[in-house]
Amino acid sequence: MKEPAASTGTYDVEEVRRKYIGFETATAKGRYPVEHDAIRRHCHMVDDNNPLFLDPEHAKTTSHGAVLCPPSGWLALYFASLGPWPAVFEPLFPIVPTPGKRIVNMSQEVEWSARIKVGDHLSVRRRIVDVYQKAVSLDAEAVWIVAEAIITNQKDDEVCVIRNTMLTHRTPAEQGGVRG
Amino acid sequence: MAVQGRSQLFWEDVVVGDELPGFSLDITARRVFLQVSGSQDWYPVHFDPAFARKGGHPDVFVNTGFLQAALVRVITNWMGDDGFLKKLRFEMRRQQRAGDTMVCKGKVVSTAERDGEGWVELEVWAENEREGVTTPGTATVILPRRD
Repeated sequence: MKEPAASTGTYDVEEVRRKYIGFETATAKGRYPVEHDAIRRHCHMVDDNNPLFLDPEHAKTTSHGAVLCPPSGWLALYFASLGPWPAVFEPLFPIVPTPGKRIVNMSQEVEWSARIKVGDHLSVRRRIVDVYQKAVSLDAEAVWIVAEAIITNQKDDEVCVIRNTMLTHRTPAEQGGVRG
Repeated sequence: MAVQGRSQLFWEDVVVGDELPGFSLDITARRVFLQVSGSQDWYPVHFDPAFARKGGHPDVFVNTGFLQAALVRVITNWMGDDGFLKKLRFEMRRQQRAGDTMVCKGKVVSTAERDGEGWVELEVWAENEREGVTTPGTATVILPRRD
């Protein structure tokens, strides 16, 4: 497919939909197992002091027997794909061509099937669910992408499915300096 | 806010209309960088004001991972060690920006027994004084039963 230019006048959303909806990536395995310190940093950013996520001694006394990863789809995705360095911010974004390269997440839904413990080793595969154009104040011809990330553990058990809706938009300058 | 931990919440003790203990966080410059550290999200719109403004935004705003962590804190601190967060859905309708005080809250919407399990539906959200509710959400939690 020809890469579209910044102006959506050459962007054929129907062609993009035909080509990319249903596309699924190969499964990628996180470089490292789920580990304490990344969980600690994640909790620290919102002052979450829950000992189930932070204190191995407390966790040993619970029915889980080990520190749990907080049930955040973001953190699950981090351990499955974003943990390796250099970081891959958004592996989906280069897959679906869009006129604008700016991204805003609009909604996320995470459905859990199992808890994640420290030491688990997560993998992810992603699929494109929908692509469409819908105007927003930032860009009258913004392109929206709905994608799912399916997270599995070392036993190939599905632990969660993350459905993300993000819009991609052009900067005001890319829109001809009309805004901003 | 106290963390439930071993003070386990049971499904039978939940009443529709119950409020989940909330909390507030000042979105200071330090918090913005804690966000980057904790989420490992290096997209500059969340920490570089010039980049954010070039994209048409008034300023940097906190990312999805930060908001999700805050809502998960509300839910998991309330439900206790043996609760299970089955589903969480939330929308980024408005922004939490540097200088805002983000307040996160929740309340019980309904309860139901399904296949012997105790299910609870919640509303959870983040708000601030500038925008009101910025991040509305819903959650489904499974709580242990008193048997």
